[in-house]
Amino acid sequence: MLELKNVSKIFNLTGSVEDERIALDNVSLQIKPGEFVTIIGGNGSGKSTTLNIVSGSLIPDSGKVILNDVDITKMPEHRRAAYFGRVFQDPLIGTAADMSVLENLEIAYQRGRIHSPITWGFKKADKEYFIEELKRFDLGLENRLGQKVGVMSGGQRQALTLLMATIRHRPTIKMMRRDYILFSQKDKVQAANEFDAELETNKIILKDKLDALKNSNLSRKERRIKAKEAMFEFDQAMLAKFDLTKQILLLDEHTAALDPKTARKVLELTNKIVCENQMTTLMVTHNMKDALTYGNRLIMFHSGHIILDVSGKEKQKLKVDDLLKMFEEADEKLINE
Amino acid sequence: MEVLDIILNILSSGLPCCLLALGIFLTYRILDFADLTAEGSFLLGACTAGVMIFNGVNPFLATLASIGVGAICGTITGVLNRYLKIPKLLSGIITLTASASIALLIMGMASGNAGLFKSQISFNVEKGGASQTIYSLFTPYVYDEAFGIWRVLSPWGEIIKIAIMAAVVALAMLAIYFFFGTEYGMAIRATGMSEKMAKAQGINTDVATIICVAISNAIIALAGALYVQEAKSASAITATGYLVIGLASIIVGEAVFGKRSFKNWIISVSLGSILYFIIVTIAIRLGLPTEFKSLLYAILITIALCIPFIKNGVNSIHLARKRKSEINKLSEKGDTKDVGTQECK
Repeated sequence: MLELKNVSKIFNLTGSVEDERIALDNVSLQIKPGEFVTIIGGNGSGKSTTLNIVSGSLIPDSGKVILNDVDITKMPEHRRAAYFGRVFQDPLIGTAADMSVLENLEIAYQRGRIHSPITWGFKKADKEYFIEELKRFDLGLENRLGQKVGVMSGGQRQALTLLMATIRHRPTIKMMRRDYILFSQKDKVQAANEFDAELETNKIILKDKLDALKNSNLSRKERRIKAKEAMFEFDQAMLAKFDLTKQILLLDEHTAALDPKTARKVLELTNKIVCENQMTTLMVTHNMKDALTYGNRLIMFHSGHIILDVSGKEKQKLKVDDLLKMFEEADEKLINE
Repeated sequence: MEVLDIILNILSSGLPCCLLALGIFLTYRILDFADLTAEGSFLLGACTAGVMIFNGVNPFLATLASIGVGAICGTITGVLNRYLKIPKLLSGIITLTASASIALLIMGMASGNAGLFKSQISFNVEKGGASQTIYSLFTPYVYDEAFGIWRVLSPWGEIIKIAIMAAVVALAMLAIYFFFGTEYGMAIRATGMSEKMAKAQGINTDVATIICVAISNAIIALAGALYVQEAKSASAITATGYLVIGLASIIVGEAVFGKRSFKNWIISVSLGSILYFIIVTIAIRLGLPTEFKSLLYAILITIALCIPFIKNGVNSIHLARKRKSEINKLSEKGDTKDVGTQECK
């Protein structure tokens, strides 16, 4: 669960009080796992600031950002990247232009891991996996793995960024342990012991399976496949118990720079990915219709406050006109004050 | 044997500059970091290796030490830029300025020097002498009976020197190629292209930048060490103008040999500096006064920078001609529907 607690952010370039611009004023927000939240609001209402505070690009002046009951307000941006996938408004900054599609995907696949200076960046197994993932996208990208991203269109680059924000290497045992100790809300020593004990039992199960395979009279190829299966089961057992951090997707007006047709396509793709993986998603958009069509919760920002927060059936009843009306009312209220 | 002499001359000044160009390439092209530290680390690399050899230290150790000094220079520039938020250009200038004094201090460590500083050093390399360079360790000598001294066997002494230089350059190129193909190398390249993307993909861009600048300056200092062992002397103004030579090599190399892939790019950059010295040598051989060298550098860089623009122009002329001939062919058939402009009615 992602939580913002009394977050405030003031932008002030000159240092004098007159030039202050309050981007967020004491905002509190709770987002449950699996929610697809669309965020709307006028320019400077604080919606992008919220996303930047969640992702760590901005540090709030006061208040806390809490992920799975752990305060991550001070966690640096690159460390948080393990828990958040991001797509930006500008298609040009989400991908590295001078690198091939494959290289970009490899970098995304390493997200949240330690980049080793001695391991070769390309792995054959990864390539096969990428091709499979790209095929699901149905953009023809799987045939252009070697092509430089710089020559591709904005829509294609944004789709690629979307894939890069959602694929991620399964965490290593070391990472799982680190995150479990960080997020489990238990005493550090206790959590570490618990993890180690579970790891030990799973290792014994795996070892037994492998020993059984060694003594069996299967062919070498079959044995290898079975061994892979056993390893996979081991991973799954560990992940089910200890992978507390499900990926959260942060989309910052990611279709705003695209033409309407491409924007629609990218949005459909987003919806498909989010629904298939049941990802927790925060999507900032200027398009009210999109905000109503997609997602199961809608939040409206106005001058640093949340003025509307609806979900489920209530959201389905809403229409664009209702939203416009609310905008006007909020504006009037502000003027009256 | 004049031609051989010229070729050997070009290579012996060009090969250290290959390393210089590669070092500058890492910051200027990969990281998009205009790093002015280059001249400073070249100077310090030359001084460190020079002084250590002067004092009779093993030349390989001296070369390693200068690599270390270069890496320290780069780290300082990187830290100034990343953690103290000083703009890239300025942090390079700061380290460059400081390096001038540090070079005097390092040269002051030459044995037999009474004061703290020294503005230049030079050493003699002879068979069995205290000062040996990485080249002289492998140089064949012949005994000259008339004068009773050992002389370098010509031209094999020169050729072996070039071979050692080429081996070092090749090693550096291989190291760069493999490092930038690893996970961390790719992370550094991503940092140079889009820092926001790199951060979102969990790369610590501060550390990546500092490491890349440090590697770059270590390679440049290695170039300085190779240079000083060839020139057998170093002074406070040794490095002046080398930044321009490095940049020009990169630009000339890219323009002539292309940058299709990373491998191709590294090779282009290194060949660029050889090509650069070939052009300069030819110009001077043709009678260009050495005073005009700087002017020649400027003209060369301008031409190299224009090459892509000229290529585009030639291409568009070619395309226009092709289109015209197609229109002609079609109009001969009496069919202009598909090509050409549509008239207004």
